[in-house]
Amino acid sequence: MVSKNLMAASTKPLILTILDRGEMYGYQIIQNVIQLSGGTLEWSEGMLYPVLHRMEKENFIRSQWKISTNGRRRKYYHLTELGKKELEKERNQWMKVHKMLSKLWALTPSFD
Amino acid sequence: MFDLEKAILHWRKTLNKNDALEDGYKEELESHLRDKVEHLRDLGFSEIEAFEEAVKKIGEAPSIGSEYFKTDTRHISGRPSWQKSRWLPPLFSNYLKIGLRKIKRQKIYSLINIAGLAVGLACCAVIIFYVKNELSYDSFHKDADRIYRVAVHRINIVGEHWFVATPAPLGPELMRSYPQVEQAVRVVPPYENASHVLVVQGEKCFFENRVWFADEDIFVLFRMPFIQGNPRTALTHPNTVVITEGMAKKYFGEEAALGKTLQIEIDYDTGIVELQDYEVTGIIKNAPANTHLKYDMFLSMETMRSNLADFEENWLNPKAKYTYVKLAPSTDVADFEEQIQRISQTVLQKYSEKYNRKMDLYELFLQPVTKIHMFSHYMREIDPPGNWYYLYIYSIIAFLILLIGCMNFINLSAALSTTRTKEVGLRKVVGAQRRQLVWQFLGESFLITFLAFILAFGLTSLLLVPFNQMAGTELTLSGLAQPVVLLSLLGLLLFVSIGSGIYPALILTGFSPVSVLQGKLAPTSRGSGVQKILVVGQFAISIFLVICALTVFKQLNFMKGRALGFDLKQKLVLRVKSNMEHLRRDYEAIKNDFLQNPSITGATVSSSVPGDRTNSGYYMTPRMEDFKGAPFIKVITMDYDFIPEYGIEMIAGRRFQRGAGNDEREGYLINLAAVKDLGFSSPEEALGKNFMASYHRINKRIIGITDDFHYRGMQEMVEPLVMDIENSLFEAITLSIRVENMNNLMRFIRSTWDEHFPGVPFEYSFLDESFEREYRYEEQMGRLLGIITSLGLFIACLGLFGLASFVARSRIKEIGIRKVLGASTTDIVTMLSKRFVLLILISVLIASPIAWYSINKWLQDFAYRIDIGLFVFFVAAVGALVIALATVSIQGIRAAVTNPVNSLRNE
Repeated sequence: MVSKNLMAASTKPLILTILDRGEMYGYQIIQNVIQLSGGTLEWSEGMLYPVLHRMEKENFIRSQWKISTNGRRRKYYHLTELGKKELEKERNQWMKVHKMLSKLWALTPSFD
Repeated sequence: MFDLEKAILHWRKTLNKNDALEDGYKEELESHLRDKVEHLRDLGFSEIEAFEEAVKKIGEAPSIGSEYFKTDTRHISGRPSWQKSRWLPPLFSNYLKIGLRKIKRQKIYSLINIAGLAVGLACCAVIIFYVKNELSYDSFHKDADRIYRVAVHRINIVGEHWFVATPAPLGPELMRSYPQVEQAVRVVPPYENASHVLVVQGEKCFFENRVWFADEDIFVLFRMPFIQGNPRTALTHPNTVVITEGMAKKYFGEEAALGKTLQIEIDYDTGIVELQDYEVTGIIKNAPANTHLKYDMFLSMETMRSNLADFEENWLNPKAKYTYVKLAPSTDVADFEEQIQRISQTVLQKYSEKYNRKMDLYELFLQPVTKIHMFSHYMREIDPPGNWYYLYIYSIIAFLILLIGCMNFINLSAALSTTRTKEVGLRKVVGAQRRQLVWQFLGESFLITFLAFILAFGLTSLLLVPFNQMAGTELTLSGLAQPVVLLSLLGLLLFVSIGSGIYPALILTGFSPVSVLQGKLAPTSRGSGVQKILVVGQFAISIFLVICALTVFKQLNFMKGRALGFDLKQKLVLRVKSNMEHLRRDYEAIKNDFLQNPSITGATVSSSVPGDRTNSGYYMTPRMEDFKGAPFIKVITMDYDFIPEYGIEMIAGRRFQRGAGNDEREGYLINLAAVKDLGFSSPEEALGKNFMASYHRINKRIIGITDDFHYRGMQEMVEPLVMDIENSLFEAITLSIRVENMNNLMRFIRSTWDEHFPGVPFEYSFLDESFEREYRYEEQMGRLLGIITSLGLFIACLGLFGLASFVARSRIKEIGIRKVLGASTTDIVTMLSKRFVLLILISVLIASPIAWYSINKWLQDFAYRIDIGLFVFFVAAVGALVIALATVSIQGIRAAVTNPVNSLRNE
């Protein structure tokens, strides 16, 4: 379980990163997050959408309704140029913090 | 059968609850839901399970909506407008806005409304402060509830008396023998000249009448803050005096008084009277207004002891006075009283030893010091007591005023609210629930009431200034600071606001919005039954007050105008308070000297003048030396000129005359009232009978009977009086003067005085002025009543004015039509007034019998009273009618003058 603050802070970089890989709709994004985090990040699903809405207002992402073959309408999101830049910024900030903490805790970086 | 589509549709509907969820969002969420359901189905869940799980995971609509809202808005609190605030009731800001707007629109009516209530509150408050103040005398002393004064209940051969003079040794005895007594302090007036103690400092000399001897512990017992000096040692030594700041200023001006010397003359009745030096050892604050013990100076008891050798042993001297004790906490007072009867026995014993006869009863008892002012009516009191009865009346009046103010307020508010039926209808249409509307109206009335209270607060502080002047009090707003007062104020606030808000709150909101908006329920022009009752009530109370006030004035005038039985015009009275031997010996010569001036037409010397509250009297017995059961009759001793100078009428026999016989050794005069008291059935029968008076033990006979005259002021029945040619009690010179050339005359009188009584302060008064002061209480009450009544009537009229104008306004269309059809202004005014006139008449009918009953009761207190004529009632009724009609007519005329085109324009 991760604290509320950390979850809130990590939402933006996560979404940006995921969307960097390609266009996705809401449910897909959530599934990706669950997979990538191995279940440690549990978002309240409804809450994702307002966040997406805000990020769209800030012009980091853009949306588009698409109809699938079986008639289902889904809203797809993709990253904008501004969004890509924002992603870079976020990555730098997080890495800085991560490096400092690692030094302090004398951990060797490893990904499980 | 679980229908997925239906379930999803239903779920969509719940999203509608949230206003921030626009259609696009809801689409997206539904899409998410469907994906989830699919996913879960793939994992093996049943349809129902999948659906429920999915819904759960998505979360609650409101919170999602809020999140959306937060991103869209610039609102700082991030709280969407549809979400209830946590602290304030919903729509609070709206109610507030509307409430204030309503006040602004109906400025005049709101003002009338608020003003009426505020005035009523302020009057009530002032009266209540006054009553509280009267009841709080002496409660400022530390532990006042444990401080008592010792009093005596006594029966001896002359009768049964209660008085508050106690023997001097009592105080120290109580301290010595009773552990429950924490403090015992005596306050003793100068024996012989308590009312005129000569005080000299350099050039300044005055007579003081609030000088006391006191034990040194008096400052421990009573709260008398010291400005300079040491309270513990100030009165330890002989010939020391502690004075108030007022006295310090009077005798020493701006100089420091501490350590300086005052010369004071005390008459100990030992024969020698002279000025002695006293050192000022302390300065205390002036005596407050609300204490029964009023003081200017305290002399040390040690001085008394050094001048009167047997002061501390004399149990029988009637001139010693007041003993105060402080009892230990939780002492049983009744128990203690029983214990001190032992001392009573001592006194009884000493009495029988000295006088060789037994006293039937001598009982000591305790009076709580806080109750002395209001309730102690015993003999030898320091200060005239307050009048319990009048306080009672004042309280009732206060309550009535408050009632009028509140009724007026409720009535007018209810009337005003009928204009808002449309608003209520509209609010209901857009979805307001009845409960919300109720709260809205109650809240508004609370706001208005609150404003009225604040205004009342300001008014009260304004009113207190003239009131203090009139009543001689020092009231302040600090009386508000107690929790009891604040709580009851809050209660009143709630009561009035609920009362005034109830009608709109409950009744208006009950209407169906449709009928209201269709205009079917126009503001009622008749006024509901409740309104009528309130109008009648207000006017009934006002009329009642008017009748009472008029009666009080009548009674006062009557008392003043009633024949007093003697001449009091143009009588100048000189009081001889020092060097009285000269007066008593040489009074004829002194009178002659005054008569040298042509403006002085007569002079007489006596022990007291009419109007003095004398307590001197003789026990008169027909049997020689046997005074058992003898009546005690008040006496005025006089010279030969008293009767003719004062124009007192003789009924039988003759008056004192020089040369007619040996009147000094042989004659009394009595008044008509004394005839019965002495046991005779007619003046003729009393004539010539012998009597011996206890004072000088000379057998004299009654040579004449005078008509009754009010020698003690108007409130009381004329008591029996005996008059004696006897000069040992002379204290007053009365000069009959012609009021011309007053400057010269006064100078002449002054110089003659200085010749005969050098160094004695010249004090004079005019008899008719002194009599005016007798009526102080009644005058005050009359004035107060007059003011309050006018205010009450004013408030009631304000209410009527508002109501009438309101009714006129609401019938504006009807009036317009009538005008078009040819009605004249008079017709319209009559039409509007008819209804009100009826109500006023009812008020008169209700108020009159109650007023009659109350006045009757009040008048019974007076020995001489007026007849309650119908005239008063008539005046009050007509007056009320006229005022009411005038008020209503103004509105009627205004309405009648309006151009019907304007009022009918909107049809």
